Amino acid sequence: MSKPTVGIFGLTGCAGDQLVILNCEDQLLDLVALIDIRDFLMASSDGQADCALDIALVEGAVLTMRDAETLRAIRKRSGLLIALGTCAVWGGVAAMDRGADRAKMLEDVYGERGKEYDSYPAQALHEIVKVDLNITGCPIEKEHFLAAVAALLNGDPPLYPDYPVCTECRMRENNCLLIERGDICCGPITAAGCNARCPGLRIPCIGCRGPVTDSNAASALAIFEEKGFDRQHIAGRLRTFSPVEVAQ
Amino acid sequence: MSTIVIEHLARVEGHGGITVELEGDTVTNVHFDVFEGARLLEPLVRGKRYDEVAPILSRICSICSAAHTLTSLKATENAFGIRVSPQTELLRELLFRGESIESHSLHLFLLALPDYLNYPSAIAVAADKPAAVLLGLRLKKLGNSIQEVIGGRAVHPVNTVLGGFGKVPAIDELIGLRSNLMQALGDCDTVIDIIASLPAADFCHSDTLYAALRSPNLDSYYTGDEVMVMSNGNRAIVNAADYRSLTNEKSVPHSNAKHSTFRGSPFMVGSLARLTVNPRRLTGKLAVAMKRLKLQLPADNPMDNNKAQALELINDVERALEIIEQLIRNGIKDERPIPVHPRAGTGTAITEAPRGLLIHSYTYDEQGHVVSADVITPTALNAASIELHFRRAVEQCAERDEAVIGKRLQMIARAYDPCISCSVHLVRRR
Repeated sequence: MSKPTVGIFGLTGCAGDQLVILNCEDQLLDLVALIDIRDFLMASSDGQADCALDIALVEGAVLTMRDAETLRAIRKRSGLLIALGTCAVWGGVAAMDRGADRAKMLEDVYGERGKEYDSYPAQALHEIVKVDLNITGCPIEKEHFLAAVAALLNGDPPLYPDYPVCTECRMRENNCLLIERGDICCGPITAAGCNARCPGLRIPCIGCRGPVTDSNAASALAIFEEKGFDRQHIAGRLRTFSPVEVAQ
Repeated sequence: MSTIVIEHLARVEGHGGITVELEGDTVTNVHFDVFEGARLLEPLVRGKRYDEVAPILSRICSICSAAHTLTSLKATENAFGIRVSPQTELLRELLFRGESIESHSLHLFLLALPDYLNYPSAIAVAADKPAAVLLGLRLKKLGNSIQEVIGGRAVHPVNTVLGGFGKVPAIDELIGLRSNLMQALGDCDTVIDIIASLPAADFCHSDTLYAALRSPNLDSYYTGDEVMVMSNGNRAIVNAADYRSLTNEKSVPHSNAKHSTFRGSPFMVGSLARLTVNPRRLTGKLAVAMKRLKLQLPADNPMDNNKAQALELINDVERALEIIEQLIRNGIKDERPIPVHPRAGTGTAITEAPRGLLIHSYTYDEQGHVVSADVITPTALNAASIELHFRRAVEQCAERDEAVIGKRLQMIARAYDPCISCSVHLVRRR
């Protein structure tokens, strides 16, 4: 079997998911023997900008016209398009308040010139093009990336947890930060896969992996309100990493 | 008029390019172009509660995420008058050193090395010369393992919070790190062997102004209250509260960029600046290594930043080991974070991120909600200096061959180890 051709790309973001790939220090050289990386600007200066790709891994959100054009061009040349990380899957931190007055924010940061910038509220990849697979996380888990490569090499679709962080947290027998300490913990509505990293360190989940499928934000909100938290504050927290709106 | 354009700068974090315009032999215009989208994280954190700020602003950049997190926490703690325990300070410095080890080894061996050896990537280098790349990966992994143990994660640390840590590391974990660090001491010698063996990168000379935190003591250079700006014996001190005088935005005739200048001159931050401002650190093994690398301070060649990173890599490994020895000797206490009592006011923190000075400054209301947030990043501070050095390199290049000039400019850009996601906060975008 010939090696699948792969491209690794970043739109607007922190490059954290590409960094996680480079952080596979023990696997990196084996990995490049199994896949044919044709385009990876962050790691190589001989990228082929036009060749067809079997798999495109794309991190970051779409914030500029340039991002959108880049993404459409990647879609056109790729078989499978994989959204890598919470920004690509959900929009991420830049999408936390898409209703805010963008022109004013641009002016506040960049002054008069800000008005001319190519700058739009953050969008997830699926809002622009068809996405074939999501690997969420801020950043993604190294193991999830490696599992995806292994599965795709075998022709299998990779599978990721489809339950909330709470499930993993209970399996670790952590004390519940929400019930026992009254912290605003986003565990009930956030996609698992991190092995409840933060609650395991006595730190409430901030939802960095984005919402779990069928998450019930309204019911989470009701629990938080019962604990005496301000509705608006909680709604703001629940959408830190994704533009999910909670009914006011 | 002719124009040299590097459309996409490879092997750096983020999206940038280079444009040089020439009129005959005269350089008329130089741009370090930034294509990164504006995420507007500073205005987006307005109204957020104090404990939400660090995790959000950490996302400015992955490679410096520990530095952004720790600088953010420190700025908020300064605003609220929180003083963390000595154990917390030590653990935080260890996290800083872990990030620096990861960042410097990533940059030196995976991003910069291929230029010197004429390869497109470290992966290509590894096919012919695996030892150097494997060494880089080993040290990079060491830095990440420190960040995982102390910060809870290699990218965007979660364990470090206002007033301390969620959970302090277990003694066994520290003992594990100690043995990894001891093994790395041998690798440090090899780092100098490799960097000393690289062909000289001698194509850009310029008087350079350097800015770095002045170390209050030799042990902890990662934080301080005074920035020293110096060149050829002249020096000036800027207090943390006056940090805006370092970011005096000056419009320059060659572009509509707003660049950071100090009294009208561009300045360089990062490893080379730190060593220039704090030369007392260069003793023992470091002094010997510095001789082997033929590094003289103050340097007039920005490419020497790579040598300075190699020296810091050794210093980081040695210092991380010292901190761990001290923590093990003291016995690690299961401290909980100091409770936070918000109050209205402003807090500013300046640290030395791997790429140089990093400044976070916030104003809070009485309930501890953000009124305004200001973040100044190393690459934004370096932008004017990067352009100055581009200009000098083109002027000093005898050949008018676009490929030769292009490669030199890219090498200069990479020597600054730019973090373009970070830079968006001040630099002109296109």
